[in-house]
Amino acid sequence: MTRSPAPGPAGLTRPGLLWALPATAFFAAFALVPLALVAVLSFTTWNGVGAPRAAGLTNWTALLHDPVMLKSLWLSALLTLLGVLLQTPISLLLGVWAAGHQRNRAILSAIYFVPLLLSATAVSVLWRALLDPNFGLPAQAPWLFGDGNLLGSRDGAIGVLAFVGAWQWTPLHTLIYQGSARAVPPVLYQAAAIDGAGRARQFWHVTLPQLRTTMVTSTVLMVVGGLTTFDTVLILTQGGPGTETTISAYYMYQQGFKNFDFGGASAIALVLVLVATVVSLAMVRLSGYDAMRAGAEGI
Amino acid sequence: MTRSSTPLRTTAAAVACTTALALLTGCGSGGAGGSAGGSGVIHVLVYGDAGNTVEKRIVDTFNKTSKVRAVLDTIPGADYQTKLQTVITTPQAPDVFFDWGGGSIAPFVKAGLLMPLDDMIAKDPALKADFLPSVFNTAVIDGKSYGIPMRGTQPVLLFDNKKVLADAGLTPPTTWDQLLSEVHALKAKGTTPIALGGGDQWPTLMWFEYLFDRVAGPGLFQRAVGGDKQAWADPASLKALGMLKQLVDAGAFGTTFDSVKFTDGGSPALLAKGKAAFELMGSWEYATQQTADPDFAKDQLGYSAFPSVPGGQGDPNDLVGNTNNFYSVRSTTKYPDAVAQFLKLMYSDDFVKAQLAIGNLPTTTNTPDFLAGSANPAYSKYQYDLVKQAPSFQLSWDQAYPPAAMTPMHQTVQRFLDGQLDANGFVRAMQALPTP
Repeated sequence: MTRSPAPGPAGLTRPGLLWALPATAFFAAFALVPLALVAVLSFTTWNGVGAPRAAGLTNWTALLHDPVMLKSLWLSALLTLLGVLLQTPISLLLGVWAAGHQRNRAILSAIYFVPLLLSATAVSVLWRALLDPNFGLPAQAPWLFGDGNLLGSRDGAIGVLAFVGAWQWTPLHTLIYQGSARAVPPVLYQAAAIDGAGRARQFWHVTLPQLRTTMVTSTVLMVVGGLTTFDTVLILTQGGPGTETTISAYYMYQQGFKNFDFGGASAIALVLVLVATVVSLAMVRLSGYDAMRAGAEGI
Repeated sequence: MTRSSTPLRTTAAAVACTTALALLTGCGSGGAGGSAGGSGVIHVLVYGDAGNTVEKRIVDTFNKTSKVRAVLDTIPGADYQTKLQTVITTPQAPDVFFDWGGGSIAPFVKAGLLMPLDDMIAKDPALKADFLPSVFNTAVIDGKSYGIPMRGTQPVLLFDNKKVLADAGLTPPTTWDQLLSEVHALKAKGTTPIALGGGDQWPTLMWFEYLFDRVAGPGLFQRAVGGDKQAWADPASLKALGMLKQLVDAGAFGTTFDSVKFTDGGSPALLAKGKAAFELMGSWEYATQQTADPDFAKDQLGYSAFPSVPGGQGDPNDLVGNTNNFYSVRSTTKYPDAVAQFLKLMYSDDFVKAQLAIGNLPTTTNTPDFLAGSANPAYSKYQYDLVKQAPSFQLSWDQAYPPAAMTPMHQTVQRFLDGQLDANGFVRAMQALPTP
């Protein structure tokens, strides 16, 4: 690598391939090699003791006929969707509101962000205690919670997972929207006001279009977060009741590290990789995420 | 399929495993140190909890007289089995480690990782003779001994809130019918009859284990765990299942049991606060209540054996629970003689006294001599007599089966209780479990 890159227009040199080497090496060592090994493992039977034994397609055919696997993918999608639907409107409105400059807003905004500082584990433990049917909120407000069997019923458990996720992550998205809303040029609002637009119309016709790319970013983050949810499920429901909240990531953990079926867990892991790749490609395509650079040059 | 595998696959597996382990646990979390090489050190790996105080003391005692030094390693929390399984095949494997006997070590025995202890016992018969047989036999696999009892025994008992029972004019039930009628009486008074930590799943399993044993006797489960799938479809099995259903349908556990856990203190609180009358739980309930609510543990916590089932094959004195914990020995240990010396401490007077002082109940034959020095002598004596008189002491099913069966077994029981599975579905799910 002795070829010196040609100087760029502003006197900058184009980055050489050498600069990418450390990152590439790390990526290969910690992502590509393990991925290949997981692929190998998915064709074996291995309980962690002794050597893996070749098992051909056993794990894969078992997975094809495994009702829990299909359900877990559907559950992951459902929780992700619920997350987006719950968090986007709330964080959008809060973010735009918090973009104002009054002193009280700064204080309130700071309070909103507290959940973001807590680890998902702490958040889960906290809500588990708060939602205890006998000693928590449901016992105080039976008119709202019924008998309080939230984590013991399918709908209740899914609802709690979506809610706790939203409680924890809405602040992050609020923060993103706040920053973005502050960047909207005031001149646009002045022009709208001159045209006689009220606050609602300003929000609808000025703020929202200006936040379009932010919305894409925020949604991408929510989808990625939703698909990789694990800790809240581990602590709040352990995939239960039965298998009603066994999302794919938790299912993989359960097969590998609770049932000691590393072959089966590897097969699930590969399915997850596949699904995640398809989802991210689709999102880049459909959301115009790849065209964001053009968007930034707009105004 | 042969057991041999290509070096590539082994290496691949090792790397994948190590990477996964590192990602999940964080590298260098303490844990077991290396025992390879003639370093003059044996590593003793135990479950990391309050019981470690005694184990530290035992190790110190051992090190005073031994040339080979013992080092105590602990793995905290419920991840013990997971981490043990990942470390056992590596050079970092411990020489001596804590387990539950039965299915918890069966995969290791099958893989040739454990040392049969019969030669050690032949040299020092007290290693076997000084322990209660019903307990010692839990770690006997294919006729060979693979564990020496350590820590204490943990039978499952029916605990009650004395005040709640007295207020309702009831006494602890001795028969199944009495239990059912008390359930109705308590329900009529607006009390949840039985606290159940269904969110943890395993507390529900305890109910089924006892009913199964009372109805069918210990033999039927031995057939099931021995690989006879038909055992689960046996009329006795179905009858026990029907009785569990009967209890649920009678509202014995209330409606929110799946949102309640034992492990976060939920179900014990129901019992202690008088919101429930009974809880079926391992003998550690006493220590749990003593920590959470000492006054309740001292004055109001009652205990009795599981009720008898009239017409059942099982002896009403049969017990279910964790028979004991065991020390097993890695077959590749460099210092078998030192290990043998270490294991001898498990029946020493000093060990028994130290265990009793922290509320554990060791199962050596000389334990009764020291019961007066225990945390609660009456409770310790009650338990010891139960264990001693029990014709059969069934190890908790989730420990008797291999680790791979644990989650599916728990889920099956939970889904049956929730009404998601009928009896046939339950039987099929139990038949699908891997056996040792």
